[in-house]
Amino acid sequence: MKIVGQKDVKLDKAFMEEIAKRSGENVFLCYQCKKCASGCPSRMFMDSTPTELMRYIQLGMVDEAMKTNTIWYCISCQTCSTRCPQDIDIAHVVDTIRIIVQEKKIKADTKNERLFNRFWMGMLKYMTRMYEVGLTGMLNLFTGRPFKDLPLGIKMIRKGKLKLLPSIRKPFVTMKMFSRARRLKK
Amino acid sequence: MKIAYYPGCSLHSSGIEYDISTKQVCNAMGIELVEVEDWICCGASPAHQCDDLMSVALPAKNLALAVRTNSLKQVCAPCASCYSRLKFAQERMKDGNLRKNVEEVIGSKYPQNVEVLHMLDVIIEKIGIDAVKEKVVRDLRDLRVACYYGCLMTRPPKVTGKQHFENPTDMESLIEALGANPIDWNMKTFCCGASFALTQTDVALELTKKILTDAVSAGAQVISVGCPLCHANLDGRQKQINEKFNTNFDIPIFYFTELMGLALGIRAKDLGIFRHITEVEDFLKERALV
Repeated sequence: MKIVGQKDVKLDKAFMEEIAKRSGENVFLCYQCKKCASGCPSRMFMDSTPTELMRYIQLGMVDEAMKTNTIWYCISCQTCSTRCPQDIDIAHVVDTIRIIVQEKKIKADTKNERLFNRFWMGMLKYMTRMYEVGLTGMLNLFTGRPFKDLPLGIKMIRKGKLKLLPSIRKPFVTMKMFSRARRLKK
Repeated sequence: MKIAYYPGCSLHSSGIEYDISTKQVCNAMGIELVEVEDWICCGASPAHQCDDLMSVALPAKNLALAVRTNSLKQVCAPCASCYSRLKFAQERMKDGNLRKNVEEVIGSKYPQNVEVLHMLDVIIEKIGIDAVKEKVVRDLRDLRVACYYGCLMTRPPKVTGKQHFENPTDMESLIEALGANPIDWNMKTFCCGASFALTQTDVALELTKKILTDAVSAGAQVISVGCPLCHANLDGRQKQINEKFNTNFDIPIFYFTELMGLALGIRAKDLGIFRHITEVEDFLKERALV
């Protein structure tokens, strides 16, 4: 435990090593030029900028990196990874932290993304393809806004833009893939 | 010329007019699209942020399926997100360890020399602008078009291999060939919020509003897009944006394939244009395009 300014900060070296190893990115190359923060379209919503996030990882400030909303506001637009002068794939680093948070079931302000991921991947596994009506419906239901976007949805159905029933092809193909992947990870 | 066709989930539902218009223009230009048999979802938005192995295995499986379909070595993925995932998988599969694991997951060999193309690449690289020009029969009459690429058609260049990723101009050259007038504007590769429209709608509305504002103030009459998610946000959310920000956007959003189809003389109805959420009928009538 170290005190930075007025705040207690938990430093965890294992965390930064895990990020570096799993993402394969050398986060220590970041020299805080702020190009990523300047280009980030989602910056205005985040607790801290992508540049600050990189610093948190370098220092091992695990709570600031994992529990704030910053990583969950990343839209994966690839602007940061494209512009980084040190060639760090920042979006991949963000993805890696998101994966760790979900794997370890860490409590964090995930902005419904955890639900979104679980529903979509579940659909993919059992139906092979994404089913838009089901995904939107379940998200709305589980986030307590059952009628969100209803007028838009009705208009889309009238225009033939939404399929009311899912198209299930050969679900065993994807189910097998998921179970093989699970075995491999163990 | 035969190319394997990977439509992806969106083109079979919310982006259906992109699917229809893509098939129509390819047909008109003498390209035969062969749909990948039993294709599966590429993992799009969620896979890369919750399961690293599957985020590579799902697109890799589709590439394997594509090669199995008539042993074609070129795959056209019109959806920018699918295109990006397929390209990412190719890049990641250069890693031998990962490739071994992925091949075990997909239960077959991974085909290495497949060429993944976005629909715009097919037009620019395989068909050629001159060939398009020759077939234009209907004048778009200097329609002022803002060409919007969004994120994943060009970024990251390491994966897409695109040279001009900050200021791409492929769509502009196509629009120009169609007799329309591509305008200069700022936001052609700015993010629209993509799938955040479902989880954090406020973010998507804010970003989409920025894009619409910039296009309109630069004098665009329509915006041309090449991604079903960009279209869903720019086209479908205009009403919500007007309500939230007290604006009055009413700008038609077309897929570039739809504009191309119109110029090639294909009927608007056959291109699926009337499925747009922001009505385009009056606009097309005014310009005698319908």
